[in-house]
Formats: sequence, C-alpha cells, structure tokens
Amino acid sequence: MTSEPDTASVPVATEKHRPRWAETLLLLVRNPMAIASGLVLIGLLVVGLFGQWLAPYGHNEQFVGGQLEAPSGSHWFGTDEAGRDVFSRVLLGAEVSLRVGAVAVGISLVAGVLIGLLAGYYGRWLDDALMRFMDMLFAFPALLMAIAVLAILGRGENNAMIAIGIVYTPIFARVTRASVLTVREDVFIRASRSSGAGDARIIFRHVLPNAAPPIIVQTTISLAFAILSEAALSFVGLGTQPPNPSWGRMLSEGRGFIEHAWWMALFPGLAIFVTVLAFNVLGDALRDVLDPRQRSTLSGKGAR
Amino acid sequence: MAAAALGTALVLAACDTGEDVDVDQDGSGAENGATDEDGDAAPVQGTFVAAISGEPDQFDPHVTSAYASFQVLENVYDTLVVPDDEGEFQPSLATEWTTSDDGLTWTFTLRDDVVFHDGSEFDADDVLYSFNRIIDEELANAYRFASVDEITAPDAQTVEITLTEPTPALLDNVGGFKGMAIIPEGAADEYDLATEGAGTGPFAMGSPGASGISLTAFEDHWGGPPSVDQVEFRYISEATTALTSLRTGEVHWTDNIPPQDIESLQSEDGIEVGVSPSVDYWYLALNQDVEPWDQLEARQAVAYGINREQIVDVTQFGAATVNQTAIPEDNFWYHDYAPFDHDPDQARDLLDSAGVEEGQSLGIMVVQDTEGVQAAQVMEANLADIGISVQIEQEPSSTWLDRQAEGEFDAFMWSWLGNLDPFGFYHAQHYSEGGFNAQGYNNPEVDDLLEQAASETGQDARKALYDQAAEMIVDDVSYLYLYNPDVVQAWAEGVEGYEIRPDRAINFENVTVAE
Amino acid sequence: MSGYVLRRLLQSLVVLIGVSILVFAIIHLVPGDPIRQALGTRATEAAYQALRARSGLDDPLLVQYFNWIGSALTGDLGVSFRSGRPVTALILERIPATLSLAVAAIVVALLIAVPLGTISALKPRSPVDWFATVSSQAGLSIPDFWMGIMFILIFAGTLGWLPSGGYVGLTEDPVEWARHLVMPAVTAGVASGSILTRFVRSSVLEALGQDYVRTARAKGMRARDVLTWHVLRNALVPLVTVGGVQLAYLLSGVVIVEIVFAWPGLGQMALQAVEARDYSLLQGAVLLFAVIFLLVNLVVDLLYAKLDPRISYQGAAR
Repeated sequence: MTSEPDTASVPVATEKHRPRWAETLLLLVRNPMAIASGLVLIGLLVVGLFGQWLAPYGHNEQFVGGQLEAPSGSHWFGTDEAGRDVFSRVLLGAEVSLRVGAVAVGISLVAGVLIGLLAGYYGRWLDDALMRFMDMLFAFPALLMAIAVLAILGRGENNAMIAIGIVYTPIFARVTRASVLTVREDVFIRASRSSGAGDARIIFRHVLPNAAPPIIVQTTISLAFAILSEAALSFVGLGTQPPNPSWGRMLSEGRGFIEHAWWMALFPGLAIFVTVLAFNVLGDALRDVLDPRQRSTLSGKGAR
Repeated sequence: MAAAALGTALVLAACDTGEDVDVDQDGSGAENGATDEDGDAAPVQGTFVAAISGEPDQFDPHVTSAYASFQVLENVYDTLVVPDDEGEFQPSLATEWTTSDDGLTWTFTLRDDVVFHDGSEFDADDVLYSFNRIIDEELANAYRFASVDEITAPDAQTVEITLTEPTPALLDNVGGFKGMAIIPEGAADEYDLATEGAGTGPFAMGSPGASGISLTAFEDHWGGPPSVDQVEFRYISEATTALTSLRTGEVHWTDNIPPQDIESLQSEDGIEVGVSPSVDYWYLALNQDVEPWDQLEARQAVAYGINREQIVDVTQFGAATVNQTAIPEDNFWYHDYAPFDHDPDQARDLLDSAGVEEGQSLGIMVVQDTEGVQAAQVMEANLADIGISVQIEQEPSSTWLDRQAEGEFDAFMWSWLGNLDPFGFYHAQHYSEGGFNAQGYNNPEVDDLLEQAASETGQDARKALYDQAAEMIVDDVSYLYLYNPDVVQAWAEGVEGYEIRPDRAINFENVTVAE
Repeated sequence: MSGYVLRRLLQSLVVLIGVSILVFAIIHLVPGDPIRQALGTRATEAAYQALRARSGLDDPLLVQYFNWIGSALTGDLGVSFRSGRPVTALILERIPATLSLAVAAIVVALLIAVPLGTISALKPRSPVDWFATVSSQAGLSIPDFWMGIMFILIFAGTLGWLPSGGYVGLTEDPVEWARHLVMPAVTAGVASGSILTRFVRSSVLEALGQDYVRTARAKGMRARDVLTWHVLRNALVPLVTVGGVQLAYLLSGVVIVEIVFAWPGLGQMALQAVEARDYSLLQGAVLLFAVIFLLVNLVVDLLYAKLDPRISYQGAAR
C-alpha cells in the first residue's frame, strides 16, 4: 500500500498511573488465546534453547537398516529415509526454525524501523527518497525477491535469513513511518524540540517509544511469516541446507513419503503449524490491545 | 544424451496447454487389439498423454542440452543410426554403412523413401547441412565431430565421412541421441527451430505451450504412421501431482516417480511400473588440485570411508546397482572391478599416512534437489566416522557449472547420462587434457591407454584397453564411482508397445492405449 | 484531485525506473553463467565462446541496459536465452492462467473473509469470535505447498472429484477450466482470506461503534439494514486496500502453488528464469510485476478516496 492517510491518530498512551507495558500485559492476559499462544511460544523457546540436550540422537545420526521405521518406544516420531530419529530432528529443528525467524525479522526490524524513523521524522526529500526505494523492493514479488537474493549470496541458512530480512524490510519501514507521522507533531515532542534536544535524542527517546505499538505487532506477525518463508524456500531447495534439520526442510522432504511414512511430514508439519499459529494469534491479540487502527500488516504480504 | 540431467534440475513445470483437453484417458477411444509390436498396423485412434518431470528449454535439437527437450524430440526427429535397447546401433535414416580398411572413411547409404514433416524429400544434402551446422556454428555437440576431417555426398543416397584418425565410436557420435538429428537443408533459416519442428520422425511437433506440447502423428513417416494420433506431453514437476494424475487416468505415462514409491506402485492395480538398469552413473570427484585431495591416500580414504550400499538404499530404495566403475553390469563394456570395501579403519590409516588431520573439512558440491543431496547426507555421516567433516553445498546447475569450470570446489557429486560407447564413459573425463576432466586427473599411463583405445578398431582389443584404463582410474580415485541408477517409469494398464530403454530415450511410436 | 493523480503517476514512474535498474543490477550480480547453463556440461570452450559472442553479454553493462530499456519501451522485451523465444510471447502465453488463478483466489479470499470477519465482529470476544479468529489464523499457518499436496491427495486421489493439476483455457472448455481452478485457487486464496478477515473484523467493529450507526439503530433501522448499508460499506475500505495488495501479489505469480498444481503461471516462469539465469526473461517478468503492482496501488488509492468520504487528498502529506 502506498497511502496511509493519517488523519486520525493512534491513541497514544498518556495514562501516567501505570507503565504502558504493564497496562498492555494486563489487557493481554484477559485474552485466553493470548495466554495459550504465549505458553506455546515459551515452550518452544525452551526446546529451541535446550533442544541439543533434550534430543536423544544427533541431527544426522543414521541407523543403517533402521530406515523409515514407524513411531515406537525407541523412536517416538519414527525414523526418516536415512534412518534418522525424527523426534530428535524436530527438537533440533526448533532451534533452526526459531533462529531463522528471529534473525530474519531482526534484520528487517532494525533496517525497516531505522528507515521508517528517518523518513517519517525528517520528511521531505529524505522521506521521498527512502520510501520510493522501499517501494522498489516492495514491487518485487516477495518469494521471487528472496530467491533472487539467495541466487546472489548463495544458498544456505544464513543467507536465507538475510534474504527474508530484506524482503520484510519495506513492511517495517512503512509501518514505522506511518506510526511516526502520527506522533511527530505531538505536543511533548514539539516541546522537546523547542527545548533544543538533539534529533537523535528526540527520535529514540520520544518518537520511537510512542510509535512502537504497531511495530511490536508487526514483529510478532512477521515471525510467523518468516518461519513460513523458510519453509517455502526449503520447498524450492534454497532454505536450510541438509543435513541440518529445519522444520520446513523436513516437511518438504517428507511430502514424498506421505504414503509410506506419514510421520516424516506430520511432526515437523505440526511443529510449523503450532508455532506459526501461536505467533499469529499472539500478534492478533497484541494488535487488539496496542494497535486498534491496524497500522501493522498494511499489506499482509508474505513471502509464501 | 549429453548432460541432459542438467535440464531436469531446473525444472518446474506446468501442465496442459489446453490444446487438447481430453482429460479422460479413453475419451477419444483407442482401438483394441491393434497392438502390433512394429506399429505398422492400421493407425489407432487416440491421444497418448505423458507427464514428464522436466520442462524443455527449447526444441532445436542441435542447440538444447536439456533431457526434457530430448524426451519430446526423440519422437520428432531421426538420426542416421539409432541405438537399440542393448546399446547396439541399428539402421534408421541410413540403411547400411561400411568402414574402409584403414578405418578412416565411413560410408553411409541412406533410405530413399523418407520425407520431412514439411513434405520435402530427404537426401544426402540434408545430412551434410545438419552436420555442418553443428560443426560450423560450434554448437554444443560439435565435439562429437572432433576427429572428422570432411563430410561429403558422392550421390544423393550416400554420405561419406572422412576421419583424421580411426574413430570406433563414430556411430555413437552421429547417432547416439537426437542431438544429432537430421533437419532439412536450410531449415535453420526457414524455421524457428526453437519452437518449430522439422524432422522425419513419427510425430510432427505442434506449437509449444507453457504447460506442455502436443505432437501429431505423421502419416508419411518412413517407418509407417505411429499407432496413436497424438502424443501430448505435460510438464508436471511435483511428483505427488504426477502420480495422482497417473492414478486417476489423467495421464498415461510418467517418469516422475520418486524411488520410494516404486514398491507400492508395483502392487497397485491399474498401474505398471518399468524398472530397468540404465547406462547412467553417479560419482564423486575430488579436486586433485586442492590439498589434501591431491594425495592418493586421502582420496582412497574417502573411497574406503563411504558406504555405497547405504547410499543406494537411502537415495534409490534399491532401484540402483552399486558399481565401482562407470559401465553397468549387463553392458558389453562392463568390467568387474571393485577394490574398495566400506572399511573405516583402513580409511583412517590412509588419512594418517597422508597426514590429514581429524576434522579435515570437505565441501561436496551437489546440484540442488537431485538425489545427490540425499547421497551427500549419507556420505556426511559415513565420513564423520573417519574424521572428515563434510559440508554439503547445493547449487543450481548454472552456478554449479561455473564452479566446476573454475575449479572452485573440494569435491562434487554428479551423474553422467546416456553414454553408450566406452569413449563417452571414460575419455574426456579422465584424459589429462580432457574437456570434462574438472577434477584435474593426470596419469600419463591412462592417457596412453585412452588414446590407443579411442582409435582401436578391434572390439576385444579395445575393451582390454578400456578395462586397463578403468582399473587405474578407479585405483587413483579420479572418479569415485557410486552406482548405476535404474530407469523408472510408470504407465497405465492397457498401454502397450512401449519399451523402457537404458539410455532413457522415450519413444512413443508404437504405443497404444486400450479402452 | 487531478494534481494528486499526476503526482502519484510521477512517483510510480520513478519507482518503475528504479525497479528496472535494480533488477538489471541484481541479475548481473547473480553468479552463474547463462551460456554454460544453456550449453550443458559437454560443450567445448569454442562452443562456449561462440555462443557468448552471439549473446551480446560481453557488451558493457550500461550499453546492455539502455538497449534493453530502449526496446522495452516499444514492447519488445528481448529474446529469452533459454528458450530462444520472445519474452513478450512467453509472458502473454502465461497471462490467462495467471489471471484466472489470481481472480479466483481473491474470490475465495473474499468468501472467507467477509462472513468470517463480520460474524466475529458482531460478537467480539465471544467463543464465536475466537473460533472465527483461530480458524482464519489456522489457514495462514499451513505452508501452502503442504496444503496443496493434501488437497491433491484427497480431492484428486482418494475422492477423484477434481483433476490433480494443470490448466485448461476458459475459452476451450469453461467447465474444465473451473474444475482445474478450484484447488489452486483455494490453496492460494486461503492465506489472503485470513489476512483480509482481520481487517474486515476490525473495520466492522469500528463501524459498529460509529455515531452514525448508533444513530441509525436508534432511529429503528433494522439491524440487517444497518449492517448492509453502513457497516459493510465501511468494511469495504480495507477490503479494497488490503485486497488490492493481495491481488497484486497473486498476479505476480504464486510460485509454490503453481509448482504444486503444474499451473503455467508467471511465478514459475520467473523462478525458472532465475535458475537458468535467463536474464531477459527475468527482467521482463519483474518489470511486468512492478507495473502491475504500481497500477493496482494507484487504483486502490483512488478508490480509497471514493469509498471513504472522510478522506481527501487535498494537501495530503503524501
């Protein structure tokens, strides 16, 4: 989207009696779905951080003669075509998938927010130049853009993170810029400007915190998209490289075995579904609380 | 069949131009019973629908190198001679051929009853034109004429090829695959060969679409009209989609069969699965210009370190034959030689004596989304046991070829397809100055043997030379040969007259579809 | 208003030129040699040099760029290296399939989003709302290749209701066209539908809270009429804006859905072009996508003003 008429402004929390994060949290815990998804994500984080100690086997430990075994006591999620323990690979894949999501979104968050802040705060030619550049990136179909970036950088997990990060940067830039425009002329920001505070100080101490809610929502939702994007890239062979396990890769490889070894696809598939759903639901709940005007996911454009 | 597999690596496909959208297999109704093996019987009605996993890049037989293109072109063009399913050359546009005593002159006698799809008559000038086009424009197959001095046409029905040295592989060179197709004189100017066909084959080419291409029976084909009216190729890259289409009768034939499905498909009603040994082989090549793989012991350690049986199990589900040389078992040129067993202890000793340290890294470059990716994962696990840490580097074929050409790799894994003559199997890959010797192998003895074998006309003597060379190539681990995969294709019950071939050429001239 | 349109057109042009430079730069940064790719493994160095010389790839980049842009302005996008065919023809050939899929997918998305979003807004924070929200989110949480494969196995394989893949032209056989379209359209439309649901829900919610709706209700207008005339009209705004972006996205090809369903769309073509380093084809495709994207956005912005009387572009900042 190229236009976001900012006639109405986001309700900016001005209540002084309670910090805004506490306010938000309070509102959030009233939503049972937010709690459920929050718990799921905390659980995933634990698996992601400690997966290598929880997993009974190595990610490429192959049991010769033990290929394609159905789930059993010794292999809870069965084994794959190379005789690897699917349970271990799903646990280890949590780290890969979460890391890809986190780093990719981290890249677009930092780059996009910075661009959005500069464009929104300074306006004029800088705004025009930066946002036209974002439009150019945005005009590329997302998955194609990611594939093109990977073609330049070479495939692999790190490059996949960069590629996904680049694809989502324009979205963050737009969300941030739109949000900044609504707070730029607020009384307290004008006040600090007239008191002679430096631009950097104003931007990071006053503008950013007040413009943050839609960005937070966008971050949560983008995490969901990033994990799906990694799966899509794995489907075309460009995501995480074998033998490293990412859920997307496992699901993509498992699709050829649906009729012989459903467990190969089912468990990584469930892992993706639950994780992405949790991020989406949490994002939705956050939006209800933080961003009722729906400034985030302006486009909802996903690299799928 | 050249580097055909490259084509398949890049394929993503589409389906059905919609030119003939008769989705039901028997919609137009095939005549029963007329399943004459020769296909000379009265023409049978019907459209035969084939789903191929690759998408042709273009249809100029002299220009393309994609296997998917040749799957189509096989049915559109003819060559002077044609390999049968044993790899022996049989008459096609040439009825007979003789070799002079010094082996330097080959004389081909041409058929006199051949017409092209455009109605023009076929004669020796067309052969000259076709071959000279390949040579003069330095097209991809020009190397096949490396030993050719001159091609002349003493009369309209005779072609004479003069050589600079005896070339026993000449029949393979001029007729091994449809890349050597004969096109009518002047065709390159008259037609846009990338999209238009101008052959003598059993089917004439329709206009290519984004999702497939239709061929129509050529009634004036010199071998008699084909058995079906039409062949429709559809490009379906996703195996699940192709298999489902086969099961529901939307297509009659497909080559898009993941090896893990072979067993269950074989027991399925309504589907027949053809599994047959191919002349393809998979191999690993270690870069001999890079430390420590320049050392023989280090390469041999890898050869002892990998478990070929396990690789075949994981990648092919048994639909392949382990082989430590290039040429498959049932081929005349096969040589039984297998010095390397899976032996991690021996491998470790060899690494020690080569001074390779624990944790030595080895990047294995594979073409994306091929079975090589699976194979490389098994190697990773195998070689981890002997202290080599493998990084799998998947590349699209364009980058892969670049890196291969520049020598920027530790090792690569790939396959050669469709070779018929031992010259094709061994020469350019292992000759020190060979065009495909990317691994940097240089053994003067092997060079000598290969040179002799290339011009040796006595078949047994020639085989002895190649056997000797093969042993040295294997011992030196110039290529680390892995296995010969099977050709796997499946078709609907009731399809008759189709034969699976070791060089993966697919020919629908005689196929019929039952009601 | 016309000043605004002019300004937007100008902006679009700037972006378009930027995209053309960007795509040109990206493509020439990509490693991998199209000539080697086209010739395959067995080509000799001589054959390689011969084809390379013919291709014009050794011209300076700037010359190549201006040659390309120059002919692109006349509608000639060059010749695809891989297939030897004109890029324009290759693109045109795939437009019907792409257009069919994009439009059908948007219809599917609307069929999901409008009812689901409205229902959940009418009873906010109720179990109905939660159910609607979670089910729409669920649609957004399944990788599309997976959804497509499951559809094929179930509806084409087991049940045999629909063809497993492929495209049939509308003009050749409308029934088969529709049958082939169902599964790809649903697969591609679900995600867009989920995204739209959120926006429908919130704008209906917002509209319900507006004074004029309350007034209408107080005046005794029937609930149904209120919903139709005021609330849904309000909901149209995000439908048009967000839906427009979704349409642009679908028009530039849904690569994965196309692969799974053997659908001859632009997405697959572009992907092949990247992989084969088919420079001219990729350049042409991306340029087309940018034009589509900018046009759709322009139309959306103009519609936006028409639909939402509160918005005026007079003196708007952007």
